[in-house]
Amino acid sequence: MDGIKGLLKMKTLTRDKWQEFVNELIAGDEREVVGVKAKGNRFHFGPLEDASELRLDYDVTILPPKKELLPQHEELLSFDISRSFEVRAVKDDNRKILIGVHPYDLRAINMMDQIYLGEHIDEHYRTRRENTLIIASDILNVPERAFCASMGTHLVDEGFDLLVTDLGDRVVITEGTDEGRGLLKDHADAEEATAEDVEAVRRLREGLPSKYSREVLVDQKEWPSLLEDNYDHPVWGEQARKCLTCGTCTLVCPTCVCYDVDDEVELDMKSGSRKRTWDGCLLKEFTLVAGGEIFRESPLERYRHRYYRKGVYLPKRFGFVACVGCGRCAAQCLPDIADPSEIINSIHSFSMERRKELPVPKVEIKGIKEDLLVPKSATIVAKKRMTDIEVLYQIELDSGEELDHKPGQFVEVSIFGVGEAPISISSSPGGRRFELLVRNVGDVTSKMEELCVGDKIGIRGPFGNGFDMEELSGSNMLFIGGGCGLAPLRSLILTTLENRSDFRDVTILYGCKDPEAILFDDDLSDWKERKDVEFLQTVDTCPEGQCWEGNTGVITTLIPKVDLDPRDVIAVIVGPPVMYRFVINDLKKRGVPDENIIVSLERRMKCGVGKCGHCQINGVYVCLEGPVFRYSDVKDLPEAF
Amino acid sequence: MKPKVAFFDFASCEGCQLQVANLEEKILDLIEVVDVVSFREVMKEHSDDYDIAIVEGSIQRPMDEERLKGIRKNAKVLIALGACACTGGLNKLRNKWTVENVKEEVYGDSDIEGNPLFDVHEAKALDEVVKVDLYIPGCPINRDEFTRFVSQLAMGRTPRLPSYPVCVECKKNENQCVFELGQFCLGPVTRAGCNAICPTHGEGCDGCRGYLDDPRMDAQKDVMRKYGVTLDEMMKRMTMYNYRKEGY
Repeated sequence: MDGIKGLLKMKTLTRDKWQEFVNELIAGDEREVVGVKAKGNRFHFGPLEDASELRLDYDVTILPPKKELLPQHEELLSFDISRSFEVRAVKDDNRKILIGVHPYDLRAINMMDQIYLGEHIDEHYRTRRENTLIIASDILNVPERAFCASMGTHLVDEGFDLLVTDLGDRVVITEGTDEGRGLLKDHADAEEATAEDVEAVRRLREGLPSKYSREVLVDQKEWPSLLEDNYDHPVWGEQARKCLTCGTCTLVCPTCVCYDVDDEVELDMKSGSRKRTWDGCLLKEFTLVAGGEIFRESPLERYRHRYYRKGVYLPKRFGFVACVGCGRCAAQCLPDIADPSEIINSIHSFSMERRKELPVPKVEIKGIKEDLLVPKSATIVAKKRMTDIEVLYQIELDSGEELDHKPGQFVEVSIFGVGEAPISISSSPGGRRFELLVRNVGDVTSKMEELCVGDKIGIRGPFGNGFDMEELSGSNMLFIGGGCGLAPLRSLILTTLENRSDFRDVTILYGCKDPEAILFDDDLSDWKERKDVEFLQTVDTCPEGQCWEGNTGVITTLIPKVDLDPRDVIAVIVGPPVMYRFVINDLKKRGVPDENIIVSLERRMKCGVGKCGHCQINGVYVCLEGPVFRYSDVKDLPEAF
Repeated sequence: MKPKVAFFDFASCEGCQLQVANLEEKILDLIEVVDVVSFREVMKEHSDDYDIAIVEGSIQRPMDEERLKGIRKNAKVLIALGACACTGGLNKLRNKWTVENVKEEVYGDSDIEGNPLFDVHEAKALDEVVKVDLYIPGCPINRDEFTRFVSQLAMGRTPRLPSYPVCVECKKNENQCVFELGQFCLGPVTRAGCNAICPTHGEGCDGCRGYLDDPRMDAQKDVMRKYGVTLDEMMKRMTMYNYRKEGY
């Protein structure tokens, strides 16, 4: 590896001096020192009390060092629910040194950096990351299930502050950053590495690949296309049958960084905290939404998703295959079905060559400046009951700012002690007030029903990709809303009508379950009366005791009644999951091209910023690239409809 | 007004109520949130005027059924506390034998005929007799889970049990898998919420919190076979807290 830049800046310590160096770091009160130690007959990262505990001869740790940057359990916010709005972000600014990070784990940390410090910066992660110095270590022993050499992750030449190579009686140290250099200078009396030391390091690194007994036969650049050729490969079903869906493969993976968030309140009913904990896409409720739908339910889909996230979706988004070959998943999976090298090799040996493009649509993402996870204080200024289970709220941010949203976007509503729920914005942009239609389907939404005008809630956002008004302007518009899908659609309809002259024909179709489920009565009567809008309405059924004189039947019964030029109309559909297939089918029969159909999809949007992983549809984050999608962009995604 | 809470027990060791009594200083917070009107382990008073009934133990006799139905009638919310109440727990192991065999084995020639105290039928979990609103499983229950349930109820939330297996908590605790240590474990099919206490202390999970709604039993059995667990050992362990006639 002549390419290792560090070869030029190597220092040497005798074993004793290295121990003294580590002990001095431990004794110092500037930073906590966390290193690799024995745990039973395995290894883990833990606080060091003495240099003698440090085991640079380890093969692999049970959990990767991601736990030091994104801990298993982490307090994000603390709040006092006995006060109207008292919340503060909790930041762990404990300064740390990690000793013994292997090259593959360092690569994984670099990947985490790209995910957590990308367009939207996670401040909790950033605080920890910036307070952590990394003393990496060359690999001395290779675990049985690792295949780092074929992933090129057995060596690193950057990303560390110091890199140590344990040669037994001597320890060679490669300086990576000024901070690392300073650390060494301040706490050790290191000599320039001799030519002999440098040669010994070179030999050690050069000999490493031959220690790996496992390899992947496919270059990682080819993983995405191999996987896209094999979405329906029998291997997924065969392996998933044996899968416990226990989530171990994701939890022990250094590049799996999805999380869940929940609120806890102490029994004093005052102090509480919002906590983040690791989650995993193998677990059944990972994609559960408040309405009860689970979007990736079968073990096969969940099992497959993990490989596609690592081998297709993240590579397309960030340019890296999110596997570093550490072998933790393979070694810790009880049925032994989690080994990426085995899966890739087996698909490679029998490729179906049945291409299924799994694109990630490119959307311009406006990075959010403020702390992503801290809700802003807002006040309920009006509340109007719409149906038995739906209430319309008018909200104002207490800062006096406008929400500054686009039609189709959503916010995360916080009720401290209960949690957060994604709610789409029902009002058109502009003005200090915005409107949220809230259906009582979960804890947050049911608690919200109890709140009164003047009560405080937390707001994060607006999030997501809304409707592009510029692009829509000048078109004939056909709006199709089903049930509470009218809520986000209303934002777009109102905006269209406020700028009526920018559009040609406007047609609105609205259907719901029964007359009592009808939303936004006032708007509907306005649309009915307007001469420049064609408005058609239906109910699925009219149960006894309810009153209805209009069309009865599902929403698709309205489509034949509309006079449209299929090549010259933009159809916007928002409704429950089951509605899309039927409506889209009928529109296509009428000859509306896919490019002219726009949909808004619902998933479990939890973080709002493309990190927690819950709202993912194949490679797409609904909270980033959606919820508004051009149908042609997502129609081939198997998980979309 | 604070909700009124009463504790009741049927066939059990009462260890789960003891876990509540053992909340120590947190119990002071607890009685700020709820009004405990009946709790035999810690107080003398008793009242039949309550909103929430917390019931420990399994149901063994017609007289138990009647009493439980009475509790159900009085309570707005009925919570099953502990393995015996939630799944029948260890008590259900006796359902392997007929009631007659059990009586003979335990009481021999003693004259118990006609005494209602000994008039037992098969052991039942609470929800085989009445509707149960919430379950706090485990042998014993996890105190943190208990206080979480209370605080969530007080917040107007519906407390939910984890839908994922013990493995999730075990991995977060960075344990070496007990299968690697030569033991076997029901963690992959058992509902989490105990913070993987047994595997964290080097013992395989016995499934005391009950199985997941859709446990991957076939995969679990394959794993146990792979690690050399005999069919007999497997069945014993799998039915220990979760006995059912048809087996697994």
